[in-house]
Amino acid sequence: MKIWNSGAGALLATAAFFGAAAPALADETIVIGLQAEPVTFDPTQISDLNTSRVVHRIYEGLVGLKYGTYDLEPRLAESWEISEDGLVYTFKLREGVKFHDGTDFNAEAVKYSFERQTDENHPAHGSLTYRGAPSYLGPVDTIEAVDDLTLKITLKQPSGPFLARLAGMTVKIVSPAALKAHGDDVGQFPAGTGPYMLEEWEPGIRATLTVNPDYYGTAPEIEKLIYVPILEPVARLSALTTGEIDLTIDVPFDSLTELEENPDIELQQGASAHVWFVALNTQLSDPPFDNVLVRQAMNYAVDKEGIVNDILQGTATVSSGPLSAGYGDLQNKDVRKYDYDPEKAKEFLAEAGYPDGFGGCEFMVPESGSGMQAPIEMGTYIQANLSAVGIDCQIKTMEWGAYLTAYRESPMMAQMSWNPPIGDPDIVLNNLLNSSNFPPGWNAGSYKNERVDELVSTAQRLSDPDERRELYLEAQALIAEDAPWIFVDHGNQIIAHTTKLKNFLVSPNFDLVVEGASYED
Amino acid sequence: MRNYLLKRLAQTIPVLFGISILVFSMLHLAPGDPADLLLGPDATPEAVEDLREDMGLNRPLIVQYGAWAGRIVQGDFGRSVVLNRAVLPEVMKRFKNTLILTAGALAFAVVFGIGIGILAAKFHQTVFDSAAMLVALAGISMPTFFTGIAAILIFAMGFQVLPSSGMYPARGGDFFDLMRHLLMPAVTLGAVSAAILARITRSAMLEVIQQDFIRTARAKGVSEDKVVWIHALRNASITIVTVLGMQIGYLLGGSVITEAVFSWPGLGQMMVRAIQARDYPTVQGGVLIIAMSFVFINLAVDLIYAWLDPRIRYS
Repeated sequence: MKIWNSGAGALLATAAFFGAAAPALADETIVIGLQAEPVTFDPTQISDLNTSRVVHRIYEGLVGLKYGTYDLEPRLAESWEISEDGLVYTFKLREGVKFHDGTDFNAEAVKYSFERQTDENHPAHGSLTYRGAPSYLGPVDTIEAVDDLTLKITLKQPSGPFLARLAGMTVKIVSPAALKAHGDDVGQFPAGTGPYMLEEWEPGIRATLTVNPDYYGTAPEIEKLIYVPILEPVARLSALTTGEIDLTIDVPFDSLTELEENPDIELQQGASAHVWFVALNTQLSDPPFDNVLVRQAMNYAVDKEGIVNDILQGTATVSSGPLSAGYGDLQNKDVRKYDYDPEKAKEFLAEAGYPDGFGGCEFMVPESGSGMQAPIEMGTYIQANLSAVGIDCQIKTMEWGAYLTAYRESPMMAQMSWNPPIGDPDIVLNNLLNSSNFPPGWNAGSYKNERVDELVSTAQRLSDPDERRELYLEAQALIAEDAPWIFVDHGNQIIAHTTKLKNFLVSPNFDLVVEGASYED
Repeated sequence: MRNYLLKRLAQTIPVLFGISILVFSMLHLAPGDPADLLLGPDATPEAVEDLREDMGLNRPLIVQYGAWAGRIVQGDFGRSVVLNRAVLPEVMKRFKNTLILTAGALAFAVVFGIGIGILAAKFHQTVFDSAAMLVALAGISMPTFFTGIAAILIFAMGFQVLPSSGMYPARGGDFFDLMRHLLMPAVTLGAVSAAILARITRSAMLEVIQQDFIRTARAKGVSEDKVVWIHALRNASITIVTVLGMQIGYLLGGSVITEAVFSWPGLGQMMVRAIQARDYPTVQGGVLIIAMSFVFINLAVDLIYAWLDPRIRYS
């Protein structure tokens, strides 16, 4: 915005200084307000949502997610075949694709990009600090570039979630030429194949992406994306209502009504795969969390509707298991449900041998944290609900960094939430509830049900989606019955944008996919 | 004078050494693990352990300190764990932005704080004096995050006359845009300092005005304006400059909250994020830079004393 010119008088200057805060929107550019700045443009090094929201535009994987869903679709691989035994994946790669640095995308590039992560002797391995490979490429035995456009990946053992994992951030394909040229600093000089490329990055101020003119797919309608970090929710809201930004996420709960009434703003709530729960240490006899009746009683005692409506202002749905509706038909909707019923909770406690309830329970609550919604308010609400049926809990709050460490040291009772980046149930059911992931793994409550272990572990080795689905449905029913957690809610994603932005769909994996959207002034 | 300067500079070395030990141990002894935070919830325990090993976090604390301090002496501040980039250039880039904010806040504090203080002393025991001191009291009492958010609600969202966050408009801007973006954060940050300066200036001035040489000046027929602005102010300025020096330190450190509220891309904001992620090299580097500037500001204040009051000699 250039209002100032040398001939202007002081009056004009003052008027301009305090004048309209919002510059007129330029054509085909939108400004997106993030909660924090992106930290790197190396997809292998990303573990925070705000960075991935930008980097997803620049890089692509062999497979991708269909717009607005968790369904897989071909991306850099046009098609693939899985051998009968589930061990060999043969990918037919897309022809004529170029990286942003002008080099060719081919099977060798995929091999280079993957082996950078799996092979410790790879020349580019040293540029990795964070190694996500065990989670994503763990099952891989060998990677072979059969010809320019054919890639053969052989697994050590069959892996059900493997294909879905290939849609993840860590395994997006980075240009080998860029890795060779920039070494450790590749995170500042991204070269992917995605529909947008990085034009300018001023850390802390803005990151500007511009359309990739050579993109093989449908070119996005919006030419330029500018990402700005706005940390304070009120400032984000203000920037949106004054037109400084066009799109933002996670607006404060108490301003939703105000935004709904604003004719220039469209508020979208979309289901996600988020889950918010309280893990109970199922191995503990004092307090008696090893008693299933006690855990069920606690589920009856907590008013989840109340939490969703009063604290979260309706921006979530009540949870009855680890998987949300975001998983579509993989979610078992017919599991045992624990509707709020304090009387029933008391009956269950009496049956378990605790007619007067019990005390001595320490409830760990973080002060904030990714996906934790309103941890302290929700924690005190749950504490009050439990107290009403005779269970006395002391809340212990902690800063998020310290909390994450403490959470992995077998807490008695602790809040947690999960934002799965991909749509495979394995990432939830196996990571959080399989007994092979006892602390310091993420099964913090040391929940163990041999049948659940068997179902989840078997599903991990199968590649047939229907067979896997059956196993996951059964596991969910057992988990609901065992109540290893107090199931609380699945949060919606709240996205607010100007009404000039059309066709924008909320994606369940927390991404902000603008490729399918358009802008009408 | 030269000896004094050298002596003072030599004294900064043990101070910085002490600070480095303090920062290092406070960070490393605090609960929380950078490997856990960096890897996020999808990582296997083995991956976390590998990363701890790579980052050298499994070595004894004293060895870790030695390695870090050894590199600092050579000017190597290490690599940021979160940004995966060298710490020093990144810290300096953000520090520059913090200095812009601090300078803005300081300008506001000096002009309004000292100005109001002088006028309040001049119009001692009038309505102006009482009103000014009431405003100053309010300024001291209001926490920065409150003032900041209130300012956003009123001026950015309500009247829509000022931008709510950042240093420049999203689409880029010039010096003029920078000034628009600076106004709210600078006033927010400078408000407390302005209030403190106003009160200190007023009391320092009142004390000086009652002294004999002022009576003598008035008796000689020096104009009242000259008495206040030249004779009295010069003599009150030692106190004012001392407090001002301390306020600069406060502004540098206090910018953390203001930067978070207004998303000002400064060092404070960077440090908050680094602390949350237990990005040890960044936090340690940032604190050292702030500590160094604090030490040098104090030195500068001491040197200004001599210029203000020629009776002060350094040896």
